Amino acid sequence: MREPEVVIAGCGVISAVGCGVEPLRAALQNNASGLRAAEKFSAPRFQSNIAGAAPRNPDIDDPAWFLAAEALRQARAAAGQILAAVPAGKTGLVLSTTKANIEALERIAAGRPCSESARRHLRADLLAADLAADHGARGPVQTVSVACVSGLVAISQAARLIRRGAAEAVLVIGVDCLSDFVVSGFTALKALDPQGCRPFDRDRCGLSPGEAGAAVVLVRADRMPQSAVTVRAFGGSNDANHLTGPSRDGSGLALAIRAALTAAKISPSEIDYIHAHGTGTGYNDAMESLALKTIFGEACLPVSGAKGMLGHTLGAAGVVETIACVLAMENNFLPGTPRLSLAAEGTPPGLVREPRTVARLKNVLKLNTGFGGMNGALILSHV
Amino acid sequence: MQISTHELKSKIIESLKLQDITPEQIDDDAPLFGTGLGLDSIDALELVVLLEKEYGIVIKDIEEGRPAFRSVRTLADFIAAKRPQ
Amino acid sequence: MSEISIIAASTVTAADLPLARLGQRFGRLDQQSQLALLAVASLNVNFDELAGDRIGICLAASAGSLSTDVNFWNGRDRVGGPSPTLFAYTLPSAAVGEVAIHFRLTGPNLCFVGDDQVILPEAADLLRRGGAEACVCIFCEVVTPECGRVISAPPVAAAHALFLKNRGEGIRTLREFDRDMKALCALIFQTKSAG
Repeated sequence: MREPEVVIAGCGVISAVGCGVEPLRAALQNNASGLRAAEKFSAPRFQSNIAGAAPRNPDIDDPAWFLAAEALRQARAAAGQILAAVPAGKTGLVLSTTKANIEALERIAAGRPCSESARRHLRADLLAADLAADHGARGPVQTVSVACVSGLVAISQAARLIRRGAAEAVLVIGVDCLSDFVVSGFTALKALDPQGCRPFDRDRCGLSPGEAGAAVVLVRADRMPQSAVTVRAFGGSNDANHLTGPSRDGSGLALAIRAALTAAKISPSEIDYIHAHGTGTGYNDAMESLALKTIFGEACLPVSGAKGMLGHTLGAAGVVETIACVLAMENNFLPGTPRLSLAAEGTPPGLVREPRTVARLKNVLKLNTGFGGMNGALILSHV
Repeated sequence: MQISTHELKSKIIESLKLQDITPEQIDDDAPLFGTGLGLDSIDALELVVLLEKEYGIVIKDIEEGRPAFRSVRTLADFIAAKRPQ
Repeated sequence: MSEISIIAASTVTAADLPLARLGQRFGRLDQQSQLALLAVASLNVNFDELAGDRIGICLAASAGSLSTDVNFWNGRDRVGGPSPTLFAYTLPSAAVGEVAIHFRLTGPNLCFVGDDQVILPEAADLLRRGGAEACVCIFCEVVTPECGRVISAPPVAAAHALFLKNRGEGIRTLREFDRDMKALCALIFQTKSAG
């Protein structure tokens, strides 16, 4: 039996460039950056105070819930009647997060007030269960946490649930919050760029943390009357090399890209655009460039990355960056690479600095890699 | 003031949670990273923490500490030279 | 539908850790990664019989990495700053990474937060669609006493592992409704001990 196609019926996002898909589209088309200096991450405790902070509701002490629920509300509204027509029992939910509502741990440790909901959402699986209960998803619920590849794995898992008939629609939510916890950790790893991240730049020296809630509604293609972006295939791999550093030669990421191309039954020459992981750390960007060279040779394929705009949003990254790809495909443009001034030696020859319009993007490759050596490659198609 | 390499080795073993190895088994001049003890980049950052905690030496840039991290002896010399009196 | 075989199963607890001999760097790992690695080693499977990129890993952690999170955050104010090593383990997928590194498994990875019910169906799906030839399944239950106080849960420290393979000679075939991985590991382990 042939498995059904899976399409994206709606998107929602709240990030450093604002609340809503429209502000994200505008930022992508204008190469804007949402990275700003944040008072609370000042020296000497933190290595850098540059971060991608999203709008927050000061009355809610449960930021993971706030960002996730807001993104989900938008995505459900965008999917409208198409989603509403799917029975609740056939609507699933997949949450992608690395730290859920970790801020509650900071509150509890410091003896500050902490609501029951904030404490409960320290546990990612309970955050997923509460989101599902609140948003009418009575089908399968999963909580994916595969470091910075989580978002792509969550989208792939959601597509699997639909392809094998366990669900007809799945709400995918990626969320992670800016927290003392995460910024302290990256400070300990000396992984932050004091001037703010500069992906693929010659002078890059680290990442910038960010936060976002991002949601996509996936539905079985026959539920969607109009043409839409298809979640085509996913490939995953592990470097099996080092816990925090990527493999130096890019072989692990290349393996994931090859697996995705094989599953999609397309050749490298059919890819029209690559949205990179591009954290801005020396090792990541160099590794990614090598992996692309391994698969695509010297072909001048357009490549760009959004972390100079949004920061590294960890568990939300794969979802929000997939939304960036969907916006590019729907609006026929190539996003640029914000905060890039001088491209480093060895970066992909087709690196896109400034956004530009294109005729059509048929197949797009979205990449992410993460701690633990995980690599993920997602192919989106727009026919 | 010179510090004892034996004491430094004990601190390294404790800080990096090395198993099945005693200070006596670590050669003063053996490389700490790659071959030898086989430490990696996370261990290097943990050693930076050790230097601040135990000896009050703050290393801002990991590159600055790189030559000192060659062996136990180079690290002991570095601590002796940098340690606040 | 092609058959999937259960090749081996194991269960380990914190009491087994002092006896583990899994390299000089085993001590660096957080407890969850130690238990996961020991559980997989206790399967006594020779992974070299298959290509490393054809073996996937599918893990679920009942409480994510919260025990290590609490441990990391408790060290935040010490001189020299919190431990960079501990931060690297504040992800449930760190255990997946350690297993991949130790056994050189470069296939696809899945990692979930929550109970064990998701593991076997997702591992089976990975095998049926050809994403891998075999899959190491791991269920971790780690709640330290300090973490237990934060999330109001009893302390626990155990890991269960199962090795699945497409059309392999094994203990038995994976059935469509096999969900309780923990119970399955205990059952197989008991049978093995009795035999």
